[in-house]
This record gives sequence, C-alpha cells and structure tokens, in this order.
Amino acid sequence: MRAVYGIVAREFVRFLRQRGRVLASIGRPFVWLVFAGAGFAAVFAGRNEIDYRVYMAPGLLGMVVMFGSLLAALSTVTDREAGVLRMVLVAPIRRRTIAFGKALGATLLGTAQAIVVAAILLPFVHLRPTLAGALLGLVAVVLSGLAMGALGLVLAASIRSIENFAGVMNFVVFPMLFLSGALYPVRHLGPVLRAAACVNPLAYGVDLLKHALLGGWARAGYGGELPVPLDCAALVLFAIVGLAVAALLLGREGGVTRTAFRERR
Amino acid sequence: MTTAAIDARGLGKDFGALRALDRLDLEVRDGEFFGLLGPNGAGKTTTVHLLATLLAPSRGTARVAGRDVVREGLAVRRSIGLVFQETALDRDLTVAENLRFAARLWSLPARVARPRIDALLRQFELLERRDDPVRTLSGGMRRAADVARGILHEPSILFLDEPTAGLDPRARRSLWERIRGLRAASGLTVLLTTHYVEEAEPCDRVAVLDHGRLAALGTPAELKRAAGAGSLEEVFLAHTGHRLAESDGG
Repeated sequence: MRAVYGIVAREFVRFLRQRGRVLASIGRPFVWLVFAGAGFAAVFAGRNEIDYRVYMAPGLLGMVVMFGSLLAALSTVTDREAGVLRMVLVAPIRRRTIAFGKALGATLLGTAQAIVVAAILLPFVHLRPTLAGALLGLVAVVLSGLAMGALGLVLAASIRSIENFAGVMNFVVFPMLFLSGALYPVRHLGPVLRAAACVNPLAYGVDLLKHALLGGWARAGYGGELPVPLDCAALVLFAIVGLAVAALLLGREGGVTRTAFRERR
Repeated sequence: MTTAAIDARGLGKDFGALRALDRLDLEVRDGEFFGLLGPNGAGKTTTVHLLATLLAPSRGTARVAGRDVVREGLAVRRSIGLVFQETALDRDLTVAENLRFAARLWSLPARVARPRIDALLRQFELLERRDDPVRTLSGGMRRAADVARGILHEPSILFLDEPTAGLDPRARRSLWERIRGLRAASGLTVLLTTHYVEEAEPCDRVAVLDHGRLAALGTPAELKRAAGAGSLEEVFLAHTGHRLAESDGG
C-alpha cells in the first residue's frame, strides 16, 4: 500500500509543480462562466426562474472533475513516453495495483480541484448549499472522479502516444461535456443524443451535482432529473467496469509495455 | 559453493514473426560479473527484459534468484535491480523526490529509506543536486541517479542495460568505478549488456549474442584463446563481424 501512496503522492507533486496546469484547472470554469455564461444567459433571458450562471454551477464543477481526473489518468501516456513507467513496472507491485494507484490519484486530484473551485465559484454565483447538499456534492465529485479516472486509464492504455490527445479531446471530452447537462438540459435533445447521454458517465455526475446544489429549483425543472441512487449506481458501475478494463489492458504485455519496451529491443 | 543467480533454459522470445531471442541457455553464478555482448538487435535487451519479468517468454524457462520469472514475477522483481538503457526517472521531479518515489514503490519504510537515500546521494556525488529537477542534470549525473535508483532496495542481482550509452569518457569511467565499488562492498551479481567491447574486459565471463543466438561463452581470456584473438574486440568481430557495419552508432 506504500506503493499506492507513492503513486498518489507523485501525482500531487507533479500537478502542483506545473503551475500552468493549476491555473488552467482553477481558471477554466470561470472562463466558461463568464463567456459561455454571458451568451447563454442572454438567450435564456426573460425566463427568470433561475439565473443561468447558477444553473451552470453544478455543470462547471462536473467539468472541473472531468478535466482534473481524466487528464491525471491520461498522464499515464506521458509516464510511458518519458520512461518513468519503466521504474513502476520493474517494481515488485502488481499491474492492477498500478492501475488502482493511478485511478486513486486521479480521483483525489479531481476532487481537490473541485473543492477549491467550489469554494470560489459557489459564493460568486450566490449559491449556498445545505449541509446535506454539500455532502451529496462531495459524493458526486468523488464518484465522478473515480469514473473519469478509470475512463482516462482505459484511454491511456488504448492510445499509442500523446499525439492522439487532440482526438481524445474532440471525440471524448467535448461530446461528454455537451451531453452531460452541464450547459443545457439533455431532455430537450433528440432521441439519438439522449441515448448517447445515457452512456455518458459525466451526465450522471452532473445530475447528482444538480440534486446537491439546485434542490431549490427542482420544482422549476432545473434540479437533478434521475433518482439519486441511479446516478450513484451508474457512476460506480462506470468506475468498476473502467478499472477492470484498464487493469486488463495495463496487465497485457503489449499494452503499456509495448511502447515502453518493444521498440527498444 | 556457488549457486546460480540466473538460470535460463531454452529461453526465447518472438515479436510477431521476428525471432528476437532464439533459445538461450545461460547460467550466471552468484556474485559473478557477467557481460552480455552483441551488436544492436542481437537480443540483449530482450534477454534482460525476459529475466526481469517485463516480457513473457515465448518458450523456455528462467529462474532468477531462485524464482521462476513467469510464475513468481513479484518475487523476482523484489530481488533484482534494473538500470534501463534510457532513464527511468521522472524528469520533472527532483533527484531526492525520484528516490523517495522509488523507495515507496519498493515498499521501503521511510525510516529505512531516508538514511539509505542520503548515503547513495553522497556516494554518487549528487548531494548538491538532490533538490534539482532531474531534467537539469547532465547525462552522467542522470545515469548516476538511475543507478542509485536501481540499487536503492539493495537487490542481489543488478542488470545494467547499456549503462554507458551516450556518456562521455569521464562519466563512463566514474560509473565503472562506482559499479566496481558496489561489487566489492556487497558481492552483488551484475549482468551487463553492452556493445562497447572494452567494457566487458573486467567481466568474469562474457557471452556473445548474435541474431538472438548464443555465439560464444567463456572468460575473456578463454574467448580470446579460442578465437586466436588478441583482444575481445577481435572475438566480437569474429562472431558478429558481418553485422557490425549496420550496428554503428546506437
């Protein structure tokens, strides 16, 4: 277990050392709040059941977790390219322990970022959650982080190099964000996109965050739409399946070891 | 009485249609300084990765430190140290942070790891650079840090895979002095792969690999006598000469 601690600690040290990454993670939701928020708020103007910036808040926290945990797990690709993965692979630990350590590091990193952003963002939009809401929000953030971390590991084990990163952003991150309900309710979309939202882990995380933070607007139709236990179960399921697949892919000789070793034969 | 630190029987590895290592029979004795010579692509690194459990053999078996590399991978990895051809350090972390990370991966308690890291940093003349990111280190220092990382958990067998590749002569010499010091102090078994023939001169025994096959095996003196050669380089050329031109620079 010391090895898991070591892997998690390294994630945090690396994150804090990359000042650009810290600023990006804290600043990103506010950029969305200001720019996307202003635009959408104007479109929504006149229907004053809810301030659009308040409506955005849970989605923005979901976005922070998504970027935080997904990018941390995807750093396995850079670990592989930079060679540090060799040190990890020659250590006397099991492949699934490595996967677990990486996923845990990603979860905690995403959670920490979400807590910091929530501490600034929620007062900023005058959103004061109840204690129960805050606790449910924490559960939502941790479970989303775990699901995103597991997904990031699966992606990291599947893509060959960091050059495929743009593809991940375009075909995974952005669709996931737009189909999560973070920016607009998914229920207004067509059947195909609604079906896609059903297999989007972030959609369940954002829904859970809406339960946690927008309880007061539930009657107006802006709160969480799915039952809380369903959201939790879906996130746990995504996390378990993702971790199992990731451990399988990482354990496979040709998976992570391929680029780390094969071409150096 | 000597026991085998490494015992490979018919060990082989294919990558798709490519036969990287054919069938290798190799015994390295406890405490021995063993050299694995061969041109690039001869199968040296594949051999090391098979023995270090990083690759699964396509055929044959191997025991390292008395444990089977397929069935007892964790136990094998606990007994060995491996210094890779290219650095295995995190360039963004400092030297000390890298060693602490390694100590945790090998489950060393902090009270054991701390004095050991200090001693290694002193021994490898890295004390002044301990809090500098690895990326700011010279090639020689980085290699020294890599070796320190490889022996931090006090392995009984150390694999050095082309450890001096890309180092200048001074850094190369100081690395060899350190390895000699380590062997004298702890009786460490060392398996070295190299294509710098002169580096194999101080080895107890040398194996020459070519095309994934064992081409020659013996003490440097025996090999020279058998080949009627004056130097190990001539031995190397006699066994692998046809390939030397392609393996230039590497």
